Amino acid sequence: MTSFIRKLRWLTRRTDKEVELRDELQFHLEEEAQQRQEGGLANDEARWAAHRDLGNVTLIEENTRAAWGWERLEQLARDAGYGLRQIRRNPAFSTIAIATLALGIGGITAMFSAFDAVLIRPLPYADADHLVMIWDDLSKSGDQSKHFPTPAEWLEWRRHNVVFTDIAATQPGNATLSGDSGPEQVPARKATANLWSVLGVKPLIGRVFTEEEDEKGVRVAVISHALWQRRYGGSPDVLGRKITVNDNPYDVVGVMPSEFYFLPALDIDIWMPASFPAWMRRLLSWHDLQVVARLKPGVTLERARESMAALSLQVTAQYFRPHQVLVTPLREELAGKTQTALVVLLCASAALLLIACVNLANLLMSRGAARGREVAVRAALGAGRRRLIAQFLTEALVLAGLGAVAGVALAVPAMQFLEMVVPETMGKVRLSLDWRVLAFSACTAIAATLTFGLAPALRGSRLSLQEGLREAGRGTAGVRSHWLQHSLVVIETALAVVLLTSGGLLLETFQHLRNTDLGIRSEKLLTFETPLFRYRDFERRVAFVSAQLESIRSIPGVVNAGAISRIPLTVNDQAAFYLLAGQSGDGVPEQVALSRVVTRDYFQTIGARLREGRFFEISDRRSQSPVAIVNQTFADRNFPSRSSLGAQLKFGALGEKGHWYMIVGVVKDIHDRGVTEELRPTIYRLHEQADQSNDQPSGIVVRTAVEPTSIVSAIRQAIGSVDKNQPIWRVQTIKEIVDRQLSTPAQSTTLLSAFALLALLLASVGLYGVLSFAVTQRTNEIGLRMALGATSGEILLSFGKRGLALTSAGLAMGLLLAAIASRSLSNLLYGFRPSYLPIVTAVSVIVIAVAVLACFVPARRASRVDPVVALRNE
Amino acid sequence: MSRHAPSRVELLQGTLDLLILRTLLAGPAHGHAIAKHIQRTSEDLLQVETGSLYPALHRLEAKGWIAASWELSKKGKRARFYRLTPLGRKQLAAEQSKWNTFSRAMGLILNPVDQEAQ
Repeated sequence: MTSFIRKLRWLTRRTDKEVELRDELQFHLEEEAQQRQEGGLANDEARWAAHRDLGNVTLIEENTRAAWGWERLEQLARDAGYGLRQIRRNPAFSTIAIATLALGIGGITAMFSAFDAVLIRPLPYADADHLVMIWDDLSKSGDQSKHFPTPAEWLEWRRHNVVFTDIAATQPGNATLSGDSGPEQVPARKATANLWSVLGVKPLIGRVFTEEEDEKGVRVAVISHALWQRRYGGSPDVLGRKITVNDNPYDVVGVMPSEFYFLPALDIDIWMPASFPAWMRRLLSWHDLQVVARLKPGVTLERARESMAALSLQVTAQYFRPHQVLVTPLREELAGKTQTALVVLLCASAALLLIACVNLANLLMSRGAARGREVAVRAALGAGRRRLIAQFLTEALVLAGLGAVAGVALAVPAMQFLEMVVPETMGKVRLSLDWRVLAFSACTAIAATLTFGLAPALRGSRLSLQEGLREAGRGTAGVRSHWLQHSLVVIETALAVVLLTSGGLLLETFQHLRNTDLGIRSEKLLTFETPLFRYRDFERRVAFVSAQLESIRSIPGVVNAGAISRIPLTVNDQAAFYLLAGQSGDGVPEQVALSRVVTRDYFQTIGARLREGRFFEISDRRSQSPVAIVNQTFADRNFPSRSSLGAQLKFGALGEKGHWYMIVGVVKDIHDRGVTEELRPTIYRLHEQADQSNDQPSGIVVRTAVEPTSIVSAIRQAIGSVDKNQPIWRVQTIKEIVDRQLSTPAQSTTLLSAFALLALLLASVGLYGVLSFAVTQRTNEIGLRMALGATSGEILLSFGKRGLALTSAGLAMGLLLAAIASRSLSNLLYGFRPSYLPIVTAVSVIVIAVAVLACFVPARRASRVDPVVALRNE
Repeated sequence: MSRHAPSRVELLQGTLDLLILRTLLAGPAHGHAIAKHIQRTSEDLLQVETGSLYPALHRLEAKGWIAASWELSKKGKRARFYRLTPLGRKQLAAEQSKWNTFSRAMGLILNPVDQEAQ
């Protein structure tokens, strides 16, 4: 180690060392001459004798320099210099090689930066790998498999489980801030007091709330760093300050650090104690919690799953819906579908790099054969095989290094694009070229060097001397040298086919998603929310909502406006049990429907279409016999063979006092839960008749004739004129909602398609290269065959056949691999089953067509060989 | 080489390092002096080739067993003097005992006790 450092230090003063060595030897000469003179020799003679005695000074100098230990480094530098010269000498070859590598390394570098940011980097919680989420599995009772647990379950789990150190829960709860400055609606969440200890996070300043405050329902709040900065100027005296949340006074006790975020959204500004009321603690049907737990040290996920499944069945045994639970790693929840997308894309970029390497290996081998004479001369001059391999590898490393530099330059814009892929739940992830990413691409370059450089180096250095010198210039490599190049072509074709097929599957899925009938006309439709907690009284709420809508409709450019309890497409499950007339209560566990409360003009505003019956009308007034509209899924499920019109159902309130609703219309399915989500039975009720429902139509939809965003300020004014303290928030168009939900599939499809096309391009270049080389190498043979009577058509065919044989082998192998690979894609197909046959056909046609093109040029060249010229070459 | 008297012996591979270290035990010296000292002390039996002396000196320096500095020679000329480092001293001890064992073993085989040596 120390000697290494010493050598390095020497390296910095290398010219000094050279001078010193010369001085030292000079001194030796003089000393020797002097002694010989003293021994009686004449001046000149003594000098000569000393020189003779010393011997070959240059050789001594060289040997001594070797002792300095730089030989290897110098060799490396020489080879690298030689490599650079080779690159300059063959600009066409070098450009192709470097560009190929740049594509490969750039792609994988960019993908790695996203992969690293989403799936490797630590989450802002202590020991986050031990954190899991727990969900109710209600799939057996016809509801979704991953459902929110209830406070009652949380209490039981927390008390009886043996696998977690603790379990915390959060509950939805939005907040309107008022008082100190204008009304502001902020995302908020109720949390059990142990949330912070389970996550292992501490507030930046102040404290979090205590178990006792949670129990007693004390009004305290922990606020986000963003809210602290935005509304309270980042001043530390916010602690202990009274703020007005939902018209109630709360004490701010703590501020979270800026990097903290937690599900379900990263912009939650206020955390309040959950303080579950006594009635909620008993109810096994109040499904609205998100539950996070910390695994005990040494407990595996498997073990936790088994233990919790048993416990859950025990807890819900008395309940009419006994069920199991799902335990999922927190990171998986945060990354969502992006995780699969990133894994698939990383694999795709690796495949692309592999193709690039295979291509390059082929190119280098072709060139290596052409360089046979150079190698033979070097070997004749005494270069050992090791030395030759080292030289080949260094040249390859120089290429890879340049490719990596160009690749990193390509990766930067790609990373900006990839930033959009980062899931919304993960916070603002910036992808940057930090040391991790750079180190990764350096490693990639080295791995690539070994992949594409080793085979050519081993082969190139094996040349036997005599043969090499004799055959110089003619270069007819034996049959043996072909099989490796041929199998490389087959491999890269197969990889390209896998990428093309996968890309095709995603493309078809994306087309399907894009063309999904959302059940509404999505253009020029503005949505926003108006929290109605200040209108708890039913009559006042109805009056306010209709006054509010009336004022919006009077804005120029507004066509219509309506209100609904949940903005369509925004994955929000507000479901309840229903009971059809004539059924006993036993059927209820199977019957869950989404519940939506709407105003009269809602369906017309969003452009929904009726299958049968009618929409809500003026005549539908508050009464003991209210009406309901159901969606197609509901009608098909409950009335498969007859019209559902006129059927009676109870919804939510199933008891004696519950209203019987009469179905008056069936609406074509609306994707209420989100574009990519499954449809569910849904029941729509009219706000004016929904006095038995807690749902408030706080979501407003506005159909406009003009650009929707241009009238936002007019809408604020209009609502302000009805109630100046009414906040509005989450203003967005339906188009924005749709685009956001399709962004992950859109981006993964785009990227995978891009990778697939590049792969196809590289594979065809590879095929072209191998065939061209074969033609060049076999010019003599072709000439001979033609002289013996082969027609140019026959020659063309023989080369074309070979190219197509290679391609077909690659195609077959690729389709087989694609069938295996497509399984890992299933998560990205959103339940859609793309039809394989058209994709496989399309891929085959494209690959064969490109291969024919790539074969044709060299094959034609072969067929045009002039036998006279070719044989004279001999 | 051939111009030298036949009584000279070729240096065994690897022994030059040991000889250099042993020579420097007496105190710092420059390359020429080291060569002469080895020659003289071995009663001219050992002739150090300059061609291998300087590479050896620099190799030992790279290993950190000896250190070099420019000083004035007895005749007032600038010369590169080598001296033993603590590490080199340790190395010398180790090499010397190894050599002693080796030469004793060689002696035992070549000159068995029960047979009169020539």
